[in-house]
Amino acid sequence: MSVLVRISLGALSSQRLPHSFSPVPAASLQAPARKSPSNSASDYAQNISAPATEQVGATLVFEGIVRANEQGRAIRALSYEAYEPMATNALTELARDILRKHALIAITVEHSRGEVLAGERSFRLAIDSAHRKEALAAMDEFIDRMKRDVPIWKSPIYI
Amino acid sequence: MTIRVLIFGALAREMSCKEITIDVTAPVTVRDINQALAAKHPSKSAFFQSARLAVNHAFAAPGSPVQQGDAVALIELVGGG
Repeated sequence: MSVLVRISLGALSSQRLPHSFSPVPAASLQAPARKSPSNSASDYAQNISAPATEQVGATLVFEGIVRANEQGRAIRALSYEAYEPMATNALTELARDILRKHALIAITVEHSRGEVLAGERSFRLAIDSAHRKEALAAMDEFIDRMKRDVPIWKSPIYI
Repeated sequence: MTIRVLIFGALAREMSCKEITIDVTAPVTVRDINQALAAKHPSKSAFFQSARLAVNHAFAAPGSPVQQGDAVALIELVGGG
């Protein structure tokens, strides 16, 4: 079982982080090759392990995208503020708890901080499990709890 | 002693500041800080009375002690994703 959590500056790439149980050394996750604002020196990855791939029967990926309007007003972007290190710690604890509760194989969480333009990705949650039902239930619970307990705030930047 | 309570998001925008400073007499608990915040901002008394506080980057129960120099933050109205 594994948990990977990363909060990085700016919009997320269209590509997921390397699959949590692919044979990628932790060091390469901490210093991704992709060049974008999200690969700042403060990016980090945690708690990487290598579970058996043959156990995975379902992979579920949710991506949060910044809508072009907020409460009926057009926006240019959302600005995300994370209270660190509590935000990363809370996301990591939440992922570990959901992993145990739903007997999952791996969770990978990516969240933006700073400004993310309308249409760009600000959040990605990938869940690997043996069967779809636990992944679907875990996805819903994770997002609900994140929105309640993880100290990340978003502010609209109006056009 | 003086405690700085960090605030974020919509609350910080509404109050036009990033922290609220309160003066309390030791020994201090999280509950005391909630009450001091409510007393300082009576128009938001109900909100501050029940607002969740983090001490040194972890949610703290109302009876938890708070020491001079602890990092205190108000964690409400979050909305990641």
